[in-house]
Amino acid sequence: MNGELRLAVFICGDGRHGKRCGGSAIVASPRGMEAGVIAVAFDELKVSMSLAEPAAFPVAEKVLLAAVIVASLGVFAWRLSPIARNVLRSKKDTDFSLRPVGARVWKFFWEVLCQAKVIEQRPLPGLAHAFVFWGFLAFALVTLNHIAVGFGHGFLQYAGWFGTFYVMFAAVWALLVAVSIAGLFIRRFVVRPRWLGAEVSVESGVIAGLIFLLMATYLAALFVDDGGGAALGLWWVHTLVLLVFLPIIPGTKHLHLVLSPLTVFLKRPEFSQLPKLEGDDDFGLVAGKDLTQLIALQAYSCVECGRCTEHCPASTTGKVLNPKEIVLGVRSYLNTEGPGSEVALLDGAQPALSMEAAFECTTCGACEFQCPVGVQHLPVLIGLRRGAVNTGAWEDKYGTKLFLALEKQGNSLGMSSTERDKFIAKQEFPIFDGSQEYCLWLGCMGSYDPKGREIVSDFARVMRALGTQFGVLKKEKCTGDPARRLGNDLLFGDLAEQGLKAFAMAGVKKIVTICPHCVRTMATDWLEYGVAPEIEHHSEFMARHAHLLPQQKGESIVYHDPCYLGRYQDVYDEPRAVVATAGELVEAERHRERSFCCGAGGGLAFLGEESGERVSHVRAKELIATGAQTIGTACPFCNSMFRDALGAVGGEAPPQLLDIAQLAARGLAMQTNDRDGKPGEN
Amino acid sequence: MKIVVAVKQVPERDAVVRVAADGRSVDESDLAWTMNEPDAYALEEALQLKERAGDGEVVVLCAGPERVQSTLREALAKGADRAVHVVTPEDGDNALMCRDTLDVARLLADAVKGESPDLVLTGLQSDDLGAGQTGVVMAELLGVPHATLVLHVELAGAGIKVKRELEDGWMQHVEMPLPALLTIQSGGNRLRYATLMGIKKARQKEMREAPAAAAAKRVDEVLKVSPPTRVKQTEMLTGSADEIAAKLVEKLRFEVKVL
Repeated sequence: MNGELRLAVFICGDGRHGKRCGGSAIVASPRGMEAGVIAVAFDELKVSMSLAEPAAFPVAEKVLLAAVIVASLGVFAWRLSPIARNVLRSKKDTDFSLRPVGARVWKFFWEVLCQAKVIEQRPLPGLAHAFVFWGFLAFALVTLNHIAVGFGHGFLQYAGWFGTFYVMFAAVWALLVAVSIAGLFIRRFVVRPRWLGAEVSVESGVIAGLIFLLMATYLAALFVDDGGGAALGLWWVHTLVLLVFLPIIPGTKHLHLVLSPLTVFLKRPEFSQLPKLEGDDDFGLVAGKDLTQLIALQAYSCVECGRCTEHCPASTTGKVLNPKEIVLGVRSYLNTEGPGSEVALLDGAQPALSMEAAFECTTCGACEFQCPVGVQHLPVLIGLRRGAVNTGAWEDKYGTKLFLALEKQGNSLGMSSTERDKFIAKQEFPIFDGSQEYCLWLGCMGSYDPKGREIVSDFARVMRALGTQFGVLKKEKCTGDPARRLGNDLLFGDLAEQGLKAFAMAGVKKIVTICPHCVRTMATDWLEYGVAPEIEHHSEFMARHAHLLPQQKGESIVYHDPCYLGRYQDVYDEPRAVVATAGELVEAERHRERSFCCGAGGGLAFLGEESGERVSHVRAKELIATGAQTIGTACPFCNSMFRDALGAVGGEAPPQLLDIAQLAARGLAMQTNDRDGKPGEN
Repeated sequence: MKIVVAVKQVPERDAVVRVAADGRSVDESDLAWTMNEPDAYALEEALQLKERAGDGEVVVLCAGPERVQSTLREALAKGADRAVHVVTPEDGDNALMCRDTLDVARLLADAVKGESPDLVLTGLQSDDLGAGQTGVVMAELLGVPHATLVLHVELAGAGIKVKRELEDGWMQHVEMPLPALLTIQSGGNRLRYATLMGIKKARQKEMREAPAAAAAKRVDEVLKVSPPTRVKQTEMLTGSADEIAAKLVEKLRFEVKVL
């Protein structure tokens, strides 16, 4: 009787019993309320108030139960085995290491158990999904008990503090799961966001129905008599739903239930981490034989949610590339050709895996960042490019021109290095001789691009004003970033080795640069060849000195997060600290981790005209729409893209376009002029 | 079809070239080296001919000290099948830079004779000395017909048809018998980029070292080399805007020749 009472408190929120539950409200806040009164009120409910169990099964029924369990597990294993075989037979990831375990455990806790990414990036459906997931976890014990009951060994009774708590706890989750899965069903089949693709799979509807049925049968068992026919019926329905559910999982997107916790735990620790090419026959992803176990595992984990495509600058501007289809293309390739295949991955039977698509990627990494199940798109996309470029299969007028410029001139713009010499002389940049604290790395844009030069010059002004000693290298070659992202390992390796040698010869200890691509490439990608000196982006340097930068007033500035600074290096606050000294910081609709690419990354700045809408125009319009007077950038490539875009879509009075170094330099110049009392020559 | 491509290693275009202590040569100690650009186009033409024909062999040939092997490797990486390195000493009278054109052509022609190819290709001139004679002298020494300033080659029956670049956009199409020697003009093809696979394959390819005959006595003598002297010419154009524009266009067209 005591237990019944508590249940009444729990279910009173349910509309079905709302009228009768008046008494329970009294129970919730009674002081000196007599138990007898309440007991009378609830006696009329005729609710069993415990989890109804069927009467003990005869042997024949137990045998039947055992048979269907074995059949279900058998079909499950039979359907899972080719997938497991494909993953296990794929090439070993030779660079794989479980370390750092702590970071992996944290990722598992945060992304799997807490469902943080799922919720953070799509809050409403994310939360609904999280409820289903947490509900499943809560139901693990219930399910075990359920099966155990069939064999007469039920252990979870509505008695004792734990059993009482757990049955009710699971009931709450059952309600949440039922509501959530119904919501998700409506989203998928009625609302139909386009990122789910043109067709939504029937089996996902079936699965949703089965989950709903599981929850409904559990909840219903709370309202029928123990040992009765209804209890028996509910028990069998619940059991059969479970046993039908299990074999459906492999071969559908619901395989992520089984795989994704493992995938998230095992994924490569670095963002866009490209494996080292091993041996003489490894040129990247040329054919099935090159697909690694991690790639295969990730391909089978894809839940087809389409978040990657939703955030892809190529997909959303009418290009062929669709990151979700790339992953599904790899999966489909594995299913048809198998892991050891010699059949080419690109331009073969998988329409999604085309050369055109692979070279439309800006490597902005939005896909990899968004993926809730641990798929890492960049090593696949860049891997496909490596396979095409390292074997010479990729023929592209602009790409070849870029590679030859990097081979011969050592810079991506194909300029003569004497142009850089002249620029250094004109700006009176000291040559690094070991006595200065910093080596100021100019990069290709800072050395040869007119706007890049302005940015570097302004940053040098800031360093000088702050009294920081710096010098530049006499000769610089490209870090190899565009070669790396386009998959030219020969060229990238040459440039990395030359760069490392140049820093060692000059005795450089600390590098600072205006280009996030240079920072990422030197600090992370060069590791295959050696360790570069400590390097930081100028936003980090200036943020450390932000208190010394004069506070400017008035102007509203929208800051654009460069992909290679934000998602690649988690630097979001530092450039904002610099912007905040120059005016009022405004955020674009998509910012920080969700920032939208300018279109330049992945070597695309050097390739030919894009098909569809220009990525840079889309982003520029979004930045203009904030109404900010100035666009603040922190990457010379973004700056260059927006300079062109503003000319095309900026209208009559486009916002000003300034790098954060120029914003800081402007403040310092105004301060000097105020002090000296003369008009500025900024 | 067997094609020999004779290439030369020259200082990189951006290299800072200094006059050596003797005042008659350049200081080679601190230079970065690369393949002579017209020779790169000759190699590309040879590779494309072979690819179009579906079979054949491209042998790349270079004379010079040990450093030229990097250029030969590059050619192998881009697709040449074999390399022949005519080894000359680093310095002294037998060094490549001390030999005259006739002597260098002789070194190369001797190596070519052993190969008896159907076609010999080389750049029309070198980016460093620029005499433009090595190819034609080689043809003479080999006793085969030659054509210069060639942009494009195609097979025509038992012989070849070549497209020669004349002045001012004019072209000349010539049919020639084989064997023959052609000196190739830059820009006729799109060069290919070096690939990792190419470099790896290049390691397996044959690089034969051939001894160089002793240098014959030069008939000419280099007296002096000198760096370019900077000449600045400033001229003020006067008149109305239209007149100035007309004068400017005329100067750009006929004096600076950029229009």
